[in-house]
Formats: sequence, structure tokens, C-alpha cells
Amino acid sequence: MKSGPVGIASLALFVLALAPSIAGAQAPQKAPAVINPPPTAQDWADIAKLPDWSGVWNPKITDQDAQIKTNPPPWNEAAAKKIQKMFAEEKAGRPFLVFSNCLPEALPSWMLVTHNAMEILFTPGRVTMLGESDGNRLRRIYTDGRGHPDVSDPTFHGHSIGHWEGDTLVVDTTDIVPEAPLAISEAAGLPNNGDMHVIERIHLADKDILHDDLEIIAPHILTKPWKTTRIFFRQRARKFDIVEGVCATGDLVERVNADGDHVFVPVQKSEWGHTTAVPAK
Amino acid sequence: MRRLVTSIGAFALLAFVAAGLTEVAAHHSAAMFDFTKSQTLKGKVVEMRWVNPHVTLTINGAVSGDEAPGDWLIETTSPGNLVRAGGWRRDAVKPGDEVEVTFHPEREAGKKSGLLMELKAISTGEVFTANIRDQEKPGLE
Repeated sequence: MKSGPVGIASLALFVLALAPSIAGAQAPQKAPAVINPPPTAQDWADIAKLPDWSGVWNPKITDQDAQIKTNPPPWNEAAAKKIQKMFAEEKAGRPFLVFSNCLPEALPSWMLVTHNAMEILFTPGRVTMLGESDGNRLRRIYTDGRGHPDVSDPTFHGHSIGHWEGDTLVVDTTDIVPEAPLAISEAAGLPNNGDMHVIERIHLADKDILHDDLEIIAPHILTKPWKTTRIFFRQRARKFDIVEGVCATGDLVERVNADGDHVFVPVQKSEWGHTTAVPAK
Repeated sequence: MRRLVTSIGAFALLAFVAAGLTEVAAHHSAAMFDFTKSQTLKGKVVEMRWVNPHVTLTINGAVSGDEAPGDWLIETTSPGNLVRAGGWRRDAVKPGDEVEVTFHPEREAGKKSGLLMELKAISTGEVFTANIRDQEKPGLE
């Protein structure tokens, strides 16, 4: 291919036009990577000084039940109407499915209305909560002094940072997906619709009683911050150890197919979530 | 390839809709059951689905002595809660075991399903309960 004067001029113009972007691509200073340092022997020794939260913690469901009436969230007018409708539907035997499709109960609803156990692990720079039943029920609380991220990346359990005030773990959580419900039961709860902020003070109230004092700021559905304490009690018998639980298996049943392979096949469910038919073997 | 995947997806969705299935597994309220009523079913275990978040039992039997046995679907809480609150194990009952089950029936008449209150294994006399709030009682071991 031959290049005439016009072609050369075009090429020159192209290079000139491209030049700023080439220069721009090279110019920004790359921020140094933030490294999570390996824990030291002292870091591990400090873990031993924390209060003993080992064992299996179960929610006090009777207190969850009671607080539906004794300590309702300060719903705004629109939210209150929706919640009243949910109560009416539940009373009529048509419970609204707050937790559909096996999505995580998310924060703060996991703490508020779970019917299942959890365990809490301490490692240097982290507190980790592992929940039973969903497979994906997991909270990572960073206690290494970091702040919340500059760029929001919403998740079901949000971004949690914590610090110890004596024997109380203070946790601050932001960046929760707007779809995460603020639930007061399995049949009454509303999406937070964004900008939710949860502050928790978690501490032992007795030898085997853990309190989570929550303050929930959900400006799109509440008129003011809502405070509630959720109670968990400890069990130490080994038979109560948490085992794997995968919520999606609730939609399925184990069968052997025509090829002799063990597979899961769907069961039939109602719109309210209960199983209505299981395919024959 | 993408077209093939799309076709398979569309077929799967169609099959799902045709079968009247919805993908809604979840922690759900038990308000579809009538807590003011209880019934007792005698029969044989066909199958127990030991799954989260709700275990189900299929039992072939009858609620009263003069009706033909049929398959009943009895739902209850999660495996973890059954172990903690009701003394259950994965092998608490096996297919063919004779059982007596007390349950809250569905509110909708004619449905052969209910919410488990208590299961008695006839051969051993063992009784398994299902009230998740029972585990709050002190001294539970």
C-alpha cells in the first residue's frame, strides 16, 4: 500500500489526536497496594484476651416474637401501610415471602429474625460470624483499623468495621444492598431502599447470653433510627454443632436418574414457600 | 453456542412453568397452616427430605380409620433446629417405618399436608417434637 501526502498527514493527525490519551494512560500515579500484614505472635496472643464467644449461639425467638408488638420499628407512613397489609395477609393464611429465592436474610435481618444458630470466630484483625441454614450466611467484620471503602460496593451483609470497647464489640456497617429487607418476621419486612446504616454493640450479658444492641438507620422507610436488642443463648453440647445447611436444597429432592447418577430434582412449592408436592422416586 | 445455551435456558424455564413450579425456597412463615386445629395421621414413612430450611416427610397413611391411605406431606423446621429442639437425627425415621404424626392441617380444605407437631415411631415408641422455641428452655442437652 502506498501512502501519499494526504495519507501521511492523516497519520500525523491521528498520532497527534492519540497522543494525549497515551500520555494520560501513563501519567496517573498508581496507588500503592494496601497489604494485609501477616499476623504476629502478639496478634494471636491478643486474641486470647478477648471475651469467650465460642460455642453455638441460638436466637431467642420468643423475644423476637414479643418485639413485633412491644418494639416495632418507626416505619414511615408508606412503609407502615405495607407492613399492615403483610400482617393482614399472614393472618389470612397468605404469608408474604420476605426471604425468597434463598437469598441471604442479610444485615440486619439475620440478627433480627433468624431462627437458626450461628458461631463467631476471632482471628487477628477480623471477627467472622457464620450462620446456619443458608450456606451463604457469613459476616466479615474487620477489626484491623480500616475504614469503610471510598467507593461503595453494596453487598447483602454490607461492609462492617469493628473495634473493641472493653468487652463490647462495636460494629459499624454500611454499603448494604437496597433490596436487603428490614424484617420483623419471616412474613413482614420491607426493602431498605438504600442508605441503610447499622451500628451494633455486641456483648455478653451473662455467662451464656449474648446481646446484640442494634441501632438501625434506614432513612427511606423509617422516620428515625430504630433501636432493638436481640438475644442469643449458648449451647455447648457437641450434638448442637452447626452443620452445613444449603437453603436451595429446600427446592429439591435427591433422586437417581436414568443414567444411575445421583441428582437433585425440583419439588413443587407454593407461592408462600412451603412444599406442596415431591416427585415420586 | 450462545444460541444453544439460550435455547436450553428457555426450554428449562418453559418446563418449569409448565410444571407449575416456582423457584421460591426460603425461610417462610407457617401461616398457611391452621394452628387452631390438630390432626393425627397413622401410616408408613415414604421419605424424609432432610433439607434446609424446611424438612418434609412424605407419609402414606390416613387421618381416620375409614379412609383409604394416601400420601401426606408434612413440613417442619430445619435439620439443625430439629436436632436441637426435638431430639431428631437424620436417621430418626426411615422409609417403611410405621409412625403416628400429629400436625396442624393446611387452612385450605382438601390438602393432604400439614405442619408437624410431633412424630411417634411405633416400633421404638420414640417421640420427636418440632417446636423451635423449646430449645430456649434451660438445661437443654
